[in-house]
Amino acid sequence: MSRDRQYRPRPGLVLDVDRSTPPVLMHHGEQLRLQKLPADRSRIIYPPEPLEPIEDPARAVREALASPVGSDPLSARLFAGMKLTIAFDDVSLPLPPMRRPDVRQLVIESVLDLAADAGVDDVHLIAALALHRRMTDAELRHVVGDRVYEAFAPRGTLYNHDAEDPEAMVVLGTTDHGEEVQISKRAAESDLVVYVNLNLVAMDGGWKSTATGLSGYRALRHHHNPATMTRSRSFMDRHNSELHHSNWRQGEVLRSAGVEVFQIETTVNNDLYGDGPMSVLAKREWEWNVRDRASFMASRAALDRLPAAGRRKVLHGWRAPYGLTSVQAGEVEAVHELTTAQVHRQQLVPVEGQTDVLLFGLPYISPYNVDSIMNPILVHCLGLGYFFNLYRGRPLVREGGVVIMSHPTTPEFNPVHHPSYIDFFEEVLPETTDPTVMAERFEKRYAEDEWYRHLYRTGNAYHGVHPFYMWYWGAHALEHLGGVVVLGGDPATVRRLGYRPASTMDDALEIASDIVGPRPTITYFKNPPLMMADVT
Amino acid sequence: MSDRSSGSRRTAGPRRGVPDLARLRALNPAALVRSAGFPVTSAPTPSSVEPLPGPPLGDRYESSWARRPLARATRVATQETLGRAVTTALCAPQVVNRDRIDQLEGPAVFVANHHSHLDTGVVTGALPRPWRHELVVAAAADYFFDTPGRAAAAAWFWGAVPMERKRVSRRSALAAAELIDKGWSLLVFPEGGRSPDGWGQEHKGGAAYLAVRCDVPVVPIHIHGTDRVLPKGSSMPRPGRVVVNFGPPLTHGDLDARRFASRIEGTLELLADETTSDWYSARLAATRGESPGLRGPDIDSWRRDWLLERRRPAQQGAASPGGSAQRTWRDRARGNRPW
Amino acid sequence: MTGPTTADAQRKRPLRGEALVFEDSPARFGLARLASSLRPGAGAGTGPLRHTEDFAPPAIDADSWVRIRPRLAGICGSDLAAVDGRSSRWFEPIVSLPFVPGHEVVADHDGRRVVLEPVLGCVARGVHPLCGACANGDLGRCERLSHGHLEPGLQTGFCESTGGAWASEMSAHLSQLHEVPDELDDTAAVMVEPTACALHAALSAGIASEDTTAVIGAGTMGLAVVAAIARHCPPRQLVVAARHPHQQDLARSLAGSLPTTVATDAQLIRAVRRVTGTMVIGSGAQQRCTGGVDVTIDCVGTSSSLALALAVTRPGGRVVMVGMPGVTTVDLTPLWQREIALSGAYTYGTERLDGTEYRTFDLAMELVAAADLGALVSATYPLSRSTDAIAHAAAAGRRGATKICFDPQGTR
Repeated sequence: MSRDRQYRPRPGLVLDVDRSTPPVLMHHGEQLRLQKLPADRSRIIYPPEPLEPIEDPARAVREALASPVGSDPLSARLFAGMKLTIAFDDVSLPLPPMRRPDVRQLVIESVLDLAADAGVDDVHLIAALALHRRMTDAELRHVVGDRVYEAFAPRGTLYNHDAEDPEAMVVLGTTDHGEEVQISKRAAESDLVVYVNLNLVAMDGGWKSTATGLSGYRALRHHHNPATMTRSRSFMDRHNSELHHSNWRQGEVLRSAGVEVFQIETTVNNDLYGDGPMSVLAKREWEWNVRDRASFMASRAALDRLPAAGRRKVLHGWRAPYGLTSVQAGEVEAVHELTTAQVHRQQLVPVEGQTDVLLFGLPYISPYNVDSIMNPILVHCLGLGYFFNLYRGRPLVREGGVVIMSHPTTPEFNPVHHPSYIDFFEEVLPETTDPTVMAERFEKRYAEDEWYRHLYRTGNAYHGVHPFYMWYWGAHALEHLGGVVVLGGDPATVRRLGYRPASTMDDALEIASDIVGPRPTITYFKNPPLMMADVT
Repeated sequence: MSDRSSGSRRTAGPRRGVPDLARLRALNPAALVRSAGFPVTSAPTPSSVEPLPGPPLGDRYESSWARRPLARATRVATQETLGRAVTTALCAPQVVNRDRIDQLEGPAVFVANHHSHLDTGVVTGALPRPWRHELVVAAAADYFFDTPGRAAAAAWFWGAVPMERKRVSRRSALAAAELIDKGWSLLVFPEGGRSPDGWGQEHKGGAAYLAVRCDVPVVPIHIHGTDRVLPKGSSMPRPGRVVVNFGPPLTHGDLDARRFASRIEGTLELLADETTSDWYSARLAATRGESPGLRGPDIDSWRRDWLLERRRPAQQGAASPGGSAQRTWRDRARGNRPW
Repeated sequence: MTGPTTADAQRKRPLRGEALVFEDSPARFGLARLASSLRPGAGAGTGPLRHTEDFAPPAIDADSWVRIRPRLAGICGSDLAAVDGRSSRWFEPIVSLPFVPGHEVVADHDGRRVVLEPVLGCVARGVHPLCGACANGDLGRCERLSHGHLEPGLQTGFCESTGGAWASEMSAHLSQLHEVPDELDDTAAVMVEPTACALHAALSAGIASEDTTAVIGAGTMGLAVVAAIARHCPPRQLVVAARHPHQQDLARSLAGSLPTTVATDAQLIRAVRRVTGTMVIGSGAQQRCTGGVDVTIDCVGTSSSLALALAVTRPGGRVVMVGMPGVTTVDLTPLWQREIALSGAYTYGTERLDGTEYRTFDLAMELVAAADLGALVSATYPLSRSTDAIAHAAAAGRRGATKICFDPQGTR
């Protein structure tokens, strides 16, 4: 935001709501709402403003590669005749997708520059998507850029990871906790794996990049399960996340098995909207000028009137003008510490005390529906998985409290991307919403279903087991909360998710008071742009 | 009708309209907009929050856009049509002694007494080309540049630049000097604001300082009569007679800014006397040091009002040589620069 | 002749009573067809069905024919097709006009409650010797439906001579009557005939215990088939396509402990895919399971239900049609390419269960009682409100109903 360049970006803000506080912007799926919150017992957490980006990202990348932490310079680790594998984060990052050039393009080009100087012939580029859907050609091209795409895709050396290819996966060992470690055979056999990461939330990166991104069901089931997820408090806080402890143990096995990883992690600021037509969404309501208010009212009206497909086309077409805020390279764990600090620098908002009722306005996008439909299972994952866990210290909402999420939650699915989600919704959820029960009764069948495997490997479908992981993502929240209310959600669908539907905010708060008592304190976590509450 | 009674009528006017407005509030678009609330209207900044620094206003206002070709062309067009029509309708200013600036060349600082919002329009209308269209007007930074809308309107319509009048500001003086160096002329009302009662106020030194610093002449201009057409505090103009009297261009010579300023003020007093009496009487009075002065005596306000009534302009209908004189030096101007 | 016996007197007494009569009127038949194309069930208002208070069916001058007074008479899918003018012309030689419809009936006979087994086979028609099917007890397969001393008519309710259950009185052959035990009330008893159809279909489908089976449709017939399957021939896994929520709930409860997946029509392919571990290929109308269930029972009988049945049945599997199909346009390529056997299941007769022979009606009475199928009767109407009754029956699923009945005596 050019005007803000004159000022230092402001940190996040916790605003106490009084009678003069205006109604506050709330995402409602693909729509926008203004919601008045009860005075004197509500507070709104506003995200920090975008950090100043690095002025010359390409130079910053070159410098990071030349002076890595805990490693020789990258150029010293490249040699003619070596096998080099460059793995990179997939389409789930960042959200929404970044305007060209993507950070990964900058980094990959710099790495390839050095590799070319060293005369490396055998280079593979792998989208480290684990059990996510395969990226389309256009998505790959967007992430790596035209030059890289055209140099490697036609030769078949730029491709999506395939965790279900028995020929291409290898088990390298078992951790001292009995967790199998599985990884792409190409990565295991390479002289060097360069991992190019884009760290949007504190959960990403570190050993999770390789131990999860290049792995498969056999290894993932050891930490993508209800027991691990309930012990990850939160999975956004690596040091208190069982998910990460498990990944780190698997990383240790990778290291001792001789897999050389050169980790490059990048962080971007939270400038989702730039100066564009959506810039109002990042502003605080009392700072909306005439143009902001007009564009808000116009967008709200347009989104309300457009058919769902039209709304999606508009919204998913948005490319965010993120600015690179840091790049660090070298040894995985050392790099990741620096990265986490950078993520915290942008996202942390200090918040005092927990709340009875936590309020989210869920937006149109989650990591798993880029260019797709946010189905009810992803609503669960985004609300109780991502938003709930965006805390450090202790959850924003007290134990036994209530989460209210605003989202239409229509039972709509993208059959190409989420085939197993449809069955999960039709078969599993009517039976149980308990992560542990569904893991025992259904997970294995979904994970090994031939059809899902086929669609994952040849189409653009998420793996059969993926909806279970989405549900486990909310396991900690389900255990912690006294209830979940979906504001404006399709009642039948909301009930199937095990939540309670409410048509108005008053109803939602009324339902919440039944659970947490009268006149509850309310905290609205105004996300996006992404932030993380540092709760004391 | 005396000035006093007309003065009371001026204040009574808006009051009489108040009950009607109250009854018509339902039909008042502004009230409707206000009752719609956020987001139709803006939201109040919460008391616990530090307000966002707005776009730079006051003497930090960036008015350069108003001197770009498009803004200038539309300003000239508007001034020559709408502006002139309004001025003519209200007061049809009589311009006298404009031949005194026949020999003026290049940028100058025009200095005038200040009674009314009409003054700027009257002076620019009376100025010959090219100064009329290559003029910036020093306007009170705290008054005209306090909101983005008002600042933009002033910058566009009058070519105003912000001038700090309440405190010493190097920023506005430097900016004005820079503009003069670039060839723009400057219109300054050295009293720093409109006269509250028709008498003049103490001059501020900015105009003289700028003339000395940029080494350009000062042209004093006396405006008579706008205080009756649209005095300070009134929003309903009453047509009346206005005289614009040009003084001779003054160069600072080797005077410092302070002495030059008092010379400028003296010349304005002479011009004021000249407007109400005649050229020669005024010269004589000035030589004797008996010019009546602009500021009036230091006495109670009603007596100042009373005295003012006696200062009426002499009939000078025919005495406007050069009223239609058009300068030709512009034709010799070099390149695109005004001078 | 010495004068009429008591029985003769009863037989020959002119019957005058209330009835719904299906008349021989090609013009009204066409109108009904037109009206029903706009709204199913609309044929009742415009078509050949006429309500009369003064109806006298012809007397039957043969032994063993008696008068019975219907207590409750169901509206069946084939009745609706006739009323709407959508019946197949196949019926022309085995139907006689005008007739009184109604073949699902519990009636009073001699102070006892009876249900009618409506098929008019060789015995009822006085045909001697019996045809092979009738001799075997497979009444529904009788080859003499237009012979004997009755006018043509495959069942009571489609035959001019006998009258039908949508009337205050009708004729029945003693061989058609089954006495209703006291524990079955009227609503349960009226369900015996459709349940017998369903039982026959379920048992003739040859479902093995290791099979997977799909049932398409959860109206009266579909639900009764589910109950029959669950009781007599449970497969490894059952999938039921039920469009409406109350149908889905009923299907679940009737399936009992049988592993059952209930889906809507639109979800059926996915549901079958899940339980059979097969794949789905194609999209839109061409979407199908690569494999599928072993046996599909189609209880709807439309072109779309048959196409759906073919899409979810494995190569070499079986599709049984219980719903009356009529003239149906359907792509039979899958039948050919996947070597699917397509068979019909019509009415009932004798069933062989574990080596023992039972009359289907006896099994049906037992099943109706065990599964409480009487609960499927949702509403009863007097004959005078036939238009409303038929509209309700035609929209039963949408209106949360299953079986609609007439109350021919108007006592309820």
